[in-house]
Amino acid sequence: MLILKSLFYILIFPGALFTSCFGLFLAGVDRKVVARMQHRIGPPLRQPMYDFFKLLGKETIIPHAANKLAFLAAPVIGFVSLALIMLFIPVGGFTAFSGNADMIVILYLITIPGVALIVGGSSSGSPYAGIGISREMVTMMAYELPFVLVLLAVARKAGGSELAFSMEKVAMWQAENGNMLFQWSMIPAAIAMLLVVPAEVGTQPFDVAEAETEICEGPLIEYSGGALGMFKLNTAMKMFVMSGLFVSLFLGGIRTGSVLCDIIIFIVLCVVVTIICMSTTHAVTARLKIEHLFKFYWTFVAGMALCSLILVWCGL
Amino acid sequence: MIQHFPVLAVMLLFLGAFCVEIFGSKNEGIRNTITMLAATIALVLIYALIKPVMIDGEIISYWMGNWAPVSGYAIGIGYEIDALSLFFALLVVTTFWLSGVYSLSYMANDHHLGHYYTLYLMLSGSVLGLVMTGDVFNMFVMVEIMTFASVALTAFRNENEGTLEAGFKYLVIGSMGSSFTLTGIALIYGQCHTLNMAQISAQLSCGGLTPTTVMALALIVAGFGVKSYIVPFHTPAADAYMVAPTSISMIFSGMVNKAGVYGMIRVLYIIFRVMDQSNVQMLIVLFGAVTMFIGVTMALTQHEFKRLLAFHSISQIGYVITAIGLGSALGLTSGLFHAMNHTLFKGLLFLTAGAVLYATGTTNLDKLGGLSKRMPKTTICFLIGAFSISGLPPFNGFVSKWLVYQATYTKAVESGNFVYAIVTVVALVVSVMTLASFIKVTQAVFFGQLPAELKKTKEVPAAMLVPMYIMSALCVLCGIFYPIVNKYLLYPATNAALNVTNYIDKMMGDGYAAGLGVSNIEVAPAAFSFWNPIVWLILFVVIFIAAFIVITGSKSSRGQLLQPGVKYDPKYATFFSGEEELFSQVGGSDLFWGFKTDWKGYYRVLEGLHSGIVTDYAVFTVIATAIITLCMFIFMR
Repeated sequence: MLILKSLFYILIFPGALFTSCFGLFLAGVDRKVVARMQHRIGPPLRQPMYDFFKLLGKETIIPHAANKLAFLAAPVIGFVSLALIMLFIPVGGFTAFSGNADMIVILYLITIPGVALIVGGSSSGSPYAGIGISREMVTMMAYELPFVLVLLAVARKAGGSELAFSMEKVAMWQAENGNMLFQWSMIPAAIAMLLVVPAEVGTQPFDVAEAETEICEGPLIEYSGGALGMFKLNTAMKMFVMSGLFVSLFLGGIRTGSVLCDIIIFIVLCVVVTIICMSTTHAVTARLKIEHLFKFYWTFVAGMALCSLILVWCGL
Repeated sequence: MIQHFPVLAVMLLFLGAFCVEIFGSKNEGIRNTITMLAATIALVLIYALIKPVMIDGEIISYWMGNWAPVSGYAIGIGYEIDALSLFFALLVVTTFWLSGVYSLSYMANDHHLGHYYTLYLMLSGSVLGLVMTGDVFNMFVMVEIMTFASVALTAFRNENEGTLEAGFKYLVIGSMGSSFTLTGIALIYGQCHTLNMAQISAQLSCGGLTPTTVMALALIVAGFGVKSYIVPFHTPAADAYMVAPTSISMIFSGMVNKAGVYGMIRVLYIIFRVMDQSNVQMLIVLFGAVTMFIGVTMALTQHEFKRLLAFHSISQIGYVITAIGLGSALGLTSGLFHAMNHTLFKGLLFLTAGAVLYATGTTNLDKLGGLSKRMPKTTICFLIGAFSISGLPPFNGFVSKWLVYQATYTKAVESGNFVYAIVTVVALVVSVMTLASFIKVTQAVFFGQLPAELKKTKEVPAAMLVPMYIMSALCVLCGIFYPIVNKYLLYPATNAALNVTNYIDKMMGDGYAAGLGVSNIEVAPAAFSFWNPIVWLILFVVIFIAAFIVITGSKSSRGQLLQPGVKYDPKYATFFSGEEELFSQVGGSDLFWGFKTDWKGYYRVLEGLHSGIVTDYAVFTVIATAIITLCMFIFMR
């Protein structure tokens, strides 16, 4: 029974199927909104889904310089770990796995899709991919510090005098005391988190790793067919997972009493977060240089998150 | 019967060392037989102690020559094996046995192998003796044998550049550490009139700390700090690990610096019992945090595979020291688990580095590349080691690092001290930097493009692969089956470190500790509730099936491997902006440009400090010892 239940969680809800469907939907929303902001009509909302299925039908070419196993396994590992993260994030009021420490688990699981992209790109043997993975790794180091600070601040706020690295406790705290976002001491952390989300997903202006105009999509340069489709799906899922993480950390206090309604509210909030922190910044900014990106995250964003942590620590 | 096992294991290794030199210096067969026989019997003898010590909770004591205590005073040398000793002894025997198997083919082309195996057995025996002895002076003797065997082994391939320099650095700094330890032990002896650890512990806890004992504590802690290479004592480690034969580098990181960690735990928790003082905790934790940060940032700029691993050893020991410095049961558990995992994954990584060196003749990150197609088995072992050390789930590094974060942040919340929160942040950021530097190795050595001169590289022989497989399997299993490891290894060891009464009573007779007013603390096993092995096993199966379907079922095609003179389909070439394909590998030094420019100032300072001049390093050692001594005198109650 435990096995069947776990399989349902992993494969259907809130794991692989749910996350990929809504991830592709969010990607469609993102494209549409960016297009409208740039006075274009934009593709239909289902376009990312069409793209994905089209790519699945195409031939995957493995260059002779590549390591076949790593080249093909990387996108799958990224996909599985992304499906897995959703099990630890409360969707509405529903958490598949919980425990006393899922924040750190989420933090580590979120690095795996990045690592998969890096290993896949690296194994393709292209020098463009080499540059790309270097930038991807620096981006990862850049956003990791503010991300950690935000998580610690939230954990401290929700836990009070005892330690709570648990997302479930954060959800319970918010159900009692209202949304984390409306605590004034948490506002800097929320802003920092809004900036961490696009860097993690890799949208403009933080898409230095895949800068298609300078290094031709970086790690993805040699990918084609199904494997490329998987990576595109991973990016879409990352959008959903990261905006979902923001919603459950800072806006998890909205409860209607019915689980279905809560889940719908959760998805709507995810769309709003995506539009605010990914589509808008995408439409109005140009790509950063990698050293500027690193400096920005370790000074401004980390500073904001640290402010929150100190304020929370002082009992505010 | 069973109480003879520990001393027999140590004696066999020393006896083997002499026999190798006498009978085996000319004949390869005899030499290998003696070495492997001694190592294997020692392994079996120590593993046989798991049941009585770890499961039944016995403490094994042994008085050399049956010189039992007379009227409450220990006069002979005693061996005492509690769960903490056995925990480290298990790490030691596993490491040296695997290293011995690896050496058989790795060292086959070297000269003077008789000396090599003699020193190898001396080193193994001394570290094993160090973790099992119950006598502080005996401990010092073992530290000395360990240091000098290490120095000789560091300089073993003395035809290579830099080996003698590394040996000299190790000799100077290592001897300074040993002298600190000896001075500390002399002071203790002057104060307590005994050298037996159990008796010293009992006397110190009833007499309280005097200025003499505080001085002794500071010196011994500094001495073991040198042996475990915490910053700023880390200076000889990078050179030594780099130039020593790789089987020995593995021993250095797997057991020699664990000996230092063991010494710290033994001294701080059992002999002096000062870990309930918040100032001592803070001092040790700060040393640990600085160690992990400086270690990993130095590792990020290295161009040499083994040197990079050496700096990671320093950084990971930082985690261990931080965790044991917290003084809580959770902290100690996480520290011990991380020490164990460090032995496994760093041993594995050193073995893969050795395989690369064996197959290609170099470990320079700017000259290698694309080896995954020539050495696929080594690549998989390396990736498992790299993911373990970076703490990706579900490998073992993840669980122990998770416990370290949990322990530090719990400490921060409980004590209300913001410094511990910063330490947690440092630990988490160091983890991602560790990942970054292993991505660098992955790209520079195993992936990317294969240079022309490495086209004929072959996979290493099976005798080198088997130890790597064993280590990889242990890395995965210890991660997934953490509850079992915790129940049978970590919990008994933690319990032994925090409860000294049994340790004292077993050596000095029942009621001795109670008579002097020493009491026990109850310890609850560390909780790790979300870790459900079945769920993770299901996940593994799902990942495996998904990957299998995609890899076999996808409509993929690939070109032939490049042969000179044969035309191939340009469809399978890598993209070069429409130009003809060229060799262009993005090597180790080319990576992480944005990061390095932003940290230019920091690296300038750090490079200035790592000048390579032994005098400077000796000054660091003295200054750090002075700081430890001062802090202990000012803050100790």
